[in-house]
Order: sequence, then structure tokens, then C-alpha cells
Amino acid sequence: MDIELVMPVLGVEIEEGQMRAWQKSEGDSVIQGEVIAVISTPKLDMDLESPATGVLKTIIVDEDEIAAVGAVLAIIEADEDDATD
Amino acid sequence: MPKILHVDPSLTRQKTVLAIKSIPIHAYDTPLATERAALGDGRLRRMLRDMMIIREFETMLAGFKGQGAYAGIKHIYAGPAHLSIGQEAVAVGSAAALDAGDHVFGSHRSHGEFIAKGLSAIQKLGGDALSQIMEGQAGGQLLRTLEGRLGTNDIRQRAEQFLLFGLLTEILMRSNGFNGGMGGSMHAFCPALGIYPNNAIVGGSAAIATGAALYKKLHGQGIAVANIGDGSTACGPVMEAMNLAGMGQLTNLWDEAYQGGLPVLFLFHNNFYAMGGQTNGETASWDRLSRLGAGFNADNMHAETVDGTNPLAVMDSVRRKRDLLIARRGPALIDAECYRYVGHSTTDASAYRTKEEIEAWRSVDAIAGFALSLKAEGILDDEAEAEMLAGVKQTIQQITALSVDPEASPPIDIKADPFAVGRLMFSDELATLPGGGALIAPAETCSRVTQLAKRSRVGKSPEGKKLSAMAAITIRDALFEPILHHFQHDPLLIAYGEENREWGGAFGVYRGLSEILPYHRLFNAPISEAATIASAVGYALEGGRVIVELMYTDFIGRAGDEIFNQMAKWQSMSGGVLRMPLVLRCSIGSKYGAQHSQDWTGLVTHIPGLKVVYPATPYDAKGLMASALAGNDPVVFFESQRLYDTTELFQPEGVPTDYYRIPLGTPDIKRAGKDVTILTIGPSLYKAIDAAETLATEHGIAAEIIDARSLVPFDYDLVLTSLAKTGRLLLVSEACERGSFLMTLAANIQRFGFKHLKAPVEVLGTPNWIVPGADLESSYFPQAHDILDIVCNRLIPDLARPATGDRLWDNVALARQGL
Repeated sequence: MDIELVMPVLGVEIEEGQMRAWQKSEGDSVIQGEVIAVISTPKLDMDLESPATGVLKTIIVDEDEIAAVGAVLAIIEADEDDATD
Repeated sequence: MPKILHVDPSLTRQKTVLAIKSIPIHAYDTPLATERAALGDGRLRRMLRDMMIIREFETMLAGFKGQGAYAGIKHIYAGPAHLSIGQEAVAVGSAAALDAGDHVFGSHRSHGEFIAKGLSAIQKLGGDALSQIMEGQAGGQLLRTLEGRLGTNDIRQRAEQFLLFGLLTEILMRSNGFNGGMGGSMHAFCPALGIYPNNAIVGGSAAIATGAALYKKLHGQGIAVANIGDGSTACGPVMEAMNLAGMGQLTNLWDEAYQGGLPVLFLFHNNFYAMGGQTNGETASWDRLSRLGAGFNADNMHAETVDGTNPLAVMDSVRRKRDLLIARRGPALIDAECYRYVGHSTTDASAYRTKEEIEAWRSVDAIAGFALSLKAEGILDDEAEAEMLAGVKQTIQQITALSVDPEASPPIDIKADPFAVGRLMFSDELATLPGGGALIAPAETCSRVTQLAKRSRVGKSPEGKKLSAMAAITIRDALFEPILHHFQHDPLLIAYGEENREWGGAFGVYRGLSEILPYHRLFNAPISEAATIASAVGYALEGGRVIVELMYTDFIGRAGDEIFNQMAKWQSMSGGVLRMPLVLRCSIGSKYGAQHSQDWTGLVTHIPGLKVVYPATPYDAKGLMASALAGNDPVVFFESQRLYDTTELFQPEGVPTDYYRIPLGTPDIKRAGKDVTILTIGPSLYKAIDAAETLATEHGIAAEIIDARSLVPFDYDLVLTSLAKTGRLLLVSEACERGSFLMTLAANIQRFGFKHLKAPVEVLGTPNWIVPGADLESSYFPQAHDILDIVCNRLIPDLARPATGDRLWDNVALARQGL
């Protein structure tokens, strides 16, 4: 099952964030809660955790790109067990 | 909030008791014979003599204050005389245990500590060092005066005369005093002998000495001593200082080379009275002052109570504390119990204590008691004691005669030099950056640096579209760049404040710096605004350079004394001996209501001795921060939280990547015009630009917009030139109008440029009431339509534009209501 990783709400007045760095590459295994990327707002850097255990299937927003809050940053293919939990 | 310190509920929630170690009270019992064997007779006799010198010196001051005469020398002394007669053993005992390079910071009652520390340093320094110090004081002027008038071939005797003469002429506010007469009785000092500012604010020295200790830990040697009174235990900043000096990170987080509590000794001269309030039993909650140590750490701050009538007991304690401080186990606390026979000041009739009490303490007098002990041990006899006292009296009389003599000690001639005091307010020096600032990783590896390298330096795209704060350099980034530059090139620069390290400051200006700066150069301060700023004062006056941050300008109230009396004054009160390279960053908030949104620029511009800056664009922020950090004067650097994300919209080339400086004090034209001048401070610039656009398009009026950028100093020429062209002026800022810097500007421009004016100078600040909540802010802070209303209805009434805002008030009626 595919799960979207989205640019989180970073504050009521912040409309966009920047992808600082991906800690994982496409095809890497990821665990739910593991930090897989760092995003930036003008004021702070923030860790982004994987929403599921599985594989980082597709990176949509590359490093240094700016994305709106709610935009899909990557697709995680969740493990069957994890998805049925 | 470092992640490596784990707060574990399973540990913190365990049932246990807090075991507190006992605190020694009057534990000293070393036989005098033992001390004699270790110190030698000469040193013990000198301690007695030093106490006699202090008492005779203060007796002389008491004579001048009370009878206008001492030993036949007539003099009326108008200044303060807070005497320590009775307390001499604490001053002499502690100074005996200090090295010449240890620094003492005192109180309003510190003549004794001054003399004792000076005499101790004179014994410990070599002849060459003493010559150098005396030659270095005002180009050897004080020494030359002595040489022509008092004979001696002994360098130490000469240095003793120098010490007493420089102090007394300072107390009498003569031009040849140690601080050029700018310090006086309560603030005399002589850094070359390790005597640092004595402070007229009770407890003021606690956190300043703590900052001096921080400098000593990082770049110097020895210890700092805060000589403060028992009354100061009730002062918040003293408590803040004792916490700061021992905060956990010093041992848990700092690099090994800098680990351990700060080498500062809080030496309480506990004379049982805080002016007329009795500390123990009346105004203090403690029963023994030393108990306070238990509140700060498991070592009780090594606290103990010692007999302040016995110089040897004090010396023994200070020596042991000093060893602990040098072994990085600071801070330390000593409660030295003593008694002043005289009043708090010469107008104090001692209505709060009995004659019996004073007599009881006289019976255990430090000087008489010590003399008796020395005689009992065969170190002194009656004849030698009488000779010693006669010699002391002769010395004080000689020095006194010389000090009141206007030929030898000329009063400050303010008529001949009206700016003699004014010239001392700022050094206006620019420091050279030595290079070699310690980093833990190269600056190029800092994530923020790589991030900013990819950003646009201009705030607009080639098509004229405004770029977001993610895409272009903002004020936040523009502040970061010169700060990083100075960290790289100035090894003495440190920064601290709340949330400064991992968080990068609450508004992210320092974000990324923790990757490349060691803890001792960038650290999180406790929520102790007073101690944060006062310690920065201590660090700066020792020779360091420091940036401290107030998260909100509204917290200035928590550090009022430290900003207004300490940071602002030591440069001038030292008579130009000290420098104060301290930048205080204050961010001005919004949306958080009445206690988090105030522009208090007017409070600091009111205080002489502070430079004040408030940039509104990234280009200006970068250049002004560079100048603030390069100068040797204290700067209050205001930043608007609303503008941190602002990109560069005025400079066509954007914010230069390279380091540059904009001189403090130069306003800048942000939009040229000929019909009306609008001078703004801070974020109001952008409202004025919007208003100017409307004036141009709808009324054909060309407004000239000037951004003040700096408030102190301020060059009026640019504004007056503009006024000569336009004849009309509106001033806009986000500070309450009453008492604001806008009002100062308005009054001055009216005086300086009256001939140019076609209409009265108009002022648009915020109303004289509290900042309301976020939703009402646009009704409070001046908006473009408010500016238009005033320009079109008051400055150029011909325009007769219908009012769109609600700020065309009857200001006379409002003032009547206190609004």
C-alpha cells in the first residue's frame, strides 16, 4: 500500500517549506518514526519522520526544492503487516 | 535542551531525600604561631598596617564630611562617603589571599577593598611592573605629581602613595583621579592593580564579576571576586549570578579544556545591616547567610561563614576557595561576618540599632584585636604599634594635603573644556579583527552557509516578483552573515542568550552556528536577563567581545539596571580606561499582546552611553551588525520579528555576499521625493513606502522616505537637506508616542530646521495605551492609510483626502486623559 509523505503544517502563517536533505534514497527500507528527511522553514530546520514501515519508493521533491504545505514529498510503500495494523 | 541530556522519569520520580552537606561556621582555629611560621612576621605586621591605612583613610573622609576638616586640613567634600570602619579585616584578609592578577569588583562601600587589593598587589608585583603601571596611568601624570612633592626611593612606597593619591583624588573628583574624576567614591577603580569597578547599585557586582570570571576561564587567568554586602542577597540579579556561575552545562557540556564552574568568589561582607534594615531576623529569610550556598549546588558553593573581624580567618577561607576556583570547582561563597561602627552614610544616625550593640562589636574590633594577638605572640610591641600608626597617619595626611591642593590635583575645568564629560561617552574605535576564532568545524560545512549560498541575494525575481523567504536572503540571514564573519575572525567573540544554541535563538538568527561553534562560544543562557547582560558587561570590560540576546524587547524591564547603569556607563565612568564591546540584540515582537510587542527604543535612547540601531532591510541589517560588532562601544541592536523574513527590496544589487560595514548613525533615503519627507524607524518603512505609492499615483505627490536605521548616534544633515526641499515632515514608528524617540526627533528637527518648515512636524507613533491582541494590531500600529490621512489632512491640507483611518485624533484632548 502506498502512503504519501507530505510537507507538514509548519505554523499557521508558513505556507511553504524547503527540502533540506533526504536521509534516505529511493529503494531504502524505512521504519515508522525514523527520520528520513530534514525540511527547513526560514526560521528552523525540522526532522521529518517516516509515516510507515516499508520502502521509500519515490522521491517527488528533491533537495533544495521549495514545496507548499500539504504537497506530496515522497511515496512510501508500506509493508503488508504494517498497513494492516 | 541538548538531546544528550535525557530527562528520565523513572529516575526523577524515585522516592528519596535530598541530603545537604553541613556548612562550616567559624571553623577557623589555626594557632597564630602556625600562621607566623608560614607567613613570617613582616607579612602579619603588614596586614595590621593595611587595616590601619584603611581606617585612617576613611576617618579622613568622615572628617571631611562631618567637620569639613581632617588633621587640620580643611576641605568640604560634597560627594558620598559610605564607610567601612569596623570591616577592615575582611578587605585585608581577602586581598592577602589574592594574586595581583585576580580581579575584585566592589560595592558602594569599597574604599577598604580598593586599598587592600592595591596594597596586596603592590607587594606581589615586581618593581618593573609597578613602574609600568604608574607610568601607564594618564601618561605618568599622577606619578610626576608625586615625584615632585613626596620623596621616596622605595618603589613600593611610591606605589603605595600612587594608590592612595589616585583613589583620593578620584573620590574628590579631581582630574588626576584614577578615573579622571568620573567614578568618585562609589565607583573608583584601577584595573592595572586588579581593582575593577566598584558599583553603586547594591549587588551590581555579582553578575559583572561572574562575566569577568567567564573571560578569565576562556582567555585569562586567576579569579574574580564579587565584594558585595549581606543586603544584596535579597537582590534577584545576585541570585541569577550565582546560578549562572555554576550552571550544569559548564561541567556537563563544555569542552574539556573549559569544563568546570566559573572562577568567581561571592564574598559577602556581612555587616548585618542593609542600610537600616537588619538582614538576619528582619529583612532576610536566612538565619545564616552561608545557607544560601545550599540552594545552588551539591557543594553548597563551598559556602562557609567566617569571622570577619579576624583577617587571618578571612585569608584562610579565601585562599581555600581560590584553590577550588582554580581547580575549576567554582563558584564559591563566603559569608564574612563583620560590623560597621559608622552609619550607612554620613547622614545615618543609626536609629535602628543600640549603642550597646555598637560597643559590643567595638570590643572585638579587628584592628585592636589583631594588634593584641600580634603582641601576645611577640610579633609586635607597644612601641612598634605606635610607630606604625604614626607612620600611617603621616602618609594619609601627606596624601590628603596633596589631594585637596588644587595645584597638585586640579579640579575638572568644565568651562575650559565643556565636552570633557561628553567626550568619554563613546570611544568610537573600530577594532581590528585578529583572526583565528576557534571553530569545531570549518564554516563552509555549516548547513546554513551552504543553504544561503543557494539563495538569491535580491528580494525580487528578474520579472519583478517578490521572492519568498525560502528563496532569497532575509534579514534573519543578513544578521547571521556578519555574526559568522566575526566568529571566524575574532577569537574573543562569544554569544549567549535564551535558546541560542540548538534552537539558534527563538527566531533562528543563529541557526546552524551550533554545528561549527564550541559550547563556550555559543551557549544557552538561563532565563536570567539581568545576569545575562551584566555578565556580558563583565566579559566585555575584561577585554572580550560579546553578543547577548533578549528574546523580546519587553524583557528589558528584567535587565533595566544592567542595561541602563552597567552596560551604558562603565566606559565613561572609567574615564576612558575601559571599553564596552557589547552588542545587545533585542527583538521586537508582535501578535503576542501587551507584554510581547513593545517597541522600547525610547527607553534606551534616553540613557546616555548606549548606541542604538534599528535596521529594517537585509542590506542595512548586515552592514550595521558588522559595524556594531567591530566597534568598542555598547550597542543595543533592535530587530523586528515581523521583518525577519523580509528580503532585500531596495538595493538593486541585493545584499552583498562579502563582508561590509555601514557606519552607525547614518539615515538612508529609501525613496526619493520632493514634496513631503517621511522619516521612519523600523517596520514603518514599509507602510510609508505603500503610502508613498498611493500619494504618487492618486495625488501626484512625491514623498521622500528616509529610514533612520540608527537612533544613537543620528546625523540630522540628511533629514534637514530633505526638509529644505520638501518643507514638510512626518515621523513614523511603532513606539508609543509619549516619550518616544520620534518625539526627540520631532523636537530637534523643529529646532534645527525651523526655517524650512511649511507645516508643523507631524508624529505618528502608536497610541499611548497597551498593544492589543493580534486581531487588533492593525488598528494600533500605524498603517499606510494612517500615514495618508496625516499627510493629506495635516501636512498638505490642500489635498483634502477623506480620512480612511482613525488616527486623526484630538491629541490635546487625549493628553488630558493621560492618553
